[in-house]
Amino acid sequence: MSRVCLVCQNIDCKSRGSEQLMAELQKRVAAKGLSDVEVKPYMCFGACQDGPNIVLYPEKNWYAKVKVEDLDEITEHLAGGPHVKRLDTIDSSLKELIYQLLDTGVM
Amino acid sequence: MEGVLFPHGVPEGREGLEEYRARDGYQALAQAVKAPGQAVIKVISDAGLRGRGGAGFPTGKKWQFTREAPDQPRYLVLNGGEDEPGSKKDRVLLENLPHLVIEGTILGAYAIGAAKAYLYINARYDMALKTINEALAEAKSAGYWGSNVCGSDFTLDIEVVPAPHNYVAGEDTAVLEVIEGKKPLPRQKPPFPVTVGLFGKPTAVNNVETLANVAPIVLKGSDWYRKFGTAESPGTMIFSLNDDVNRPGVYELPFGTPLRYLIEECGGGIKGGKKIKAIMPAAPSSAFLPVDKIDTPLDHNSMREAGAALGCGVVKLVSEDSCIVEELVKIADFFAAESCGQCPACRMETNTLAMMIKKVQAGQGGQPIIEQFGKILAFNKGKGFCNLIAMPGPPIESAIKLFPADFQAHLNAGKCPAA
Repeated sequence: MSRVCLVCQNIDCKSRGSEQLMAELQKRVAAKGLSDVEVKPYMCFGACQDGPNIVLYPEKNWYAKVKVEDLDEITEHLAGGPHVKRLDTIDSSLKELIYQLLDTGVM
Repeated sequence: MEGVLFPHGVPEGREGLEEYRARDGYQALAQAVKAPGQAVIKVISDAGLRGRGGAGFPTGKKWQFTREAPDQPRYLVLNGGEDEPGSKKDRVLLENLPHLVIEGTILGAYAIGAAKAYLYINARYDMALKTINEALAEAKSAGYWGSNVCGSDFTLDIEVVPAPHNYVAGEDTAVLEVIEGKKPLPRQKPPFPVTVGLFGKPTAVNNVETLANVAPIVLKGSDWYRKFGTAESPGTMIFSLNDDVNRPGVYELPFGTPLRYLIEECGGGIKGGKKIKAIMPAAPSSAFLPVDKIDTPLDHNSMREAGAALGCGVVKLVSEDSCIVEELVKIADFFAAESCGQCPACRMETNTLAMMIKKVQAGQGGQPIIEQFGKILAFNKGKGFCNLIAMPGPPIESAIKLFPADFQAHLNAGKCPAA
């Protein structure tokens, strides 16, 4: 297992459906046979107004306001497909803060 | 040393009505109801009484705001939630000097023009609830509350409400929620309780110790009160010492007394003949002070200048053979557990900090993780409804600054230098 797909589970993202998103993403990743990807919960990325948030690590891609309809494209990206540009809307300073945190192993 | 609250030392057992009256108990009330409530506010303002729950807000000002709020009715709430770890001052006052607390509450209600007061008391304090209820019954029979207090036209109802014992349940707006029959969740401020409080009406929420100071001030005057303490922190404060000293207990000291006096003379020094490594004057949310600050006066300004705070007076010591990282793990876990969960930023911050400090404890993350603490704190600054989100910052940032060797020992060796 070398890659993680972190799905925010703080109250705001949860209220926007992040539990269902995580379950759906786990199904799609398994169906695609992506055995090197683990989809797991994360406490919070601090971007509540833009939730639900999903961060792919270590490639450092952040998808915001993710809906179930977006999950096929995200799964494709995980399988080597293109980056889903329209979901990449988070401010770069916040990204840096969270990526630095993930780099220290806090996940 | 003469005191305001414990003039004859910390009392044992409950002081009954007759004992209290024998030392002029309820005389302040009997006098006060002959004049307008503003007179009580004036003497409390002149005395410079500041709240003892942690923030140190001027009580006279709080009462003035409440009294001036246009809406009616107004309420007074005695906050005896006392959920701060290691704090026991409010319990001692409620259990041993219930009439002093009750007279202060009635005077506060009279001052702001409230017709109802609530006594919000930690539900775990069985003895305090019992003594307060007994004292309330005695005081009511004697005409100190109910209809026509001391023969005046002032009428006051008092109700006791047991408080849930989680940390945020002592936050003033969470207190109001509980009294309204809801969960102990802090409200967004503003509006502040003085204008929109209990049931949406103007409300003064005062700590137990704050209200216990009121009757002596009203009776003896502001000049008498100002003989104790300093110009900006008049009077005395009760400090709680716990098992880290030889003589745990509560100690009333004039503001401005050196911290050393509390630790050495009152507490008998740190246990086991060890040396002190650090002092936390408002555990668990104050900064750590290095031991060379042991002569800092115990008052609001001096503590702020030293980089710490007085809080509600729980003073904790860290011994020379303790590791600051291990102390921080306990503190960060406490705040993560006590974050009520309604503000996403508070949940994010407290949980992330707890995860981070455990990484350090396990020797992971290297220097970058140390640099990350300040960034996470800065990112969340000013967010959240209540002050809990600001509480983990001072201990963590002071520890990083004062005890870098403890962090390095964990990061280098993956284990505690104290182990």
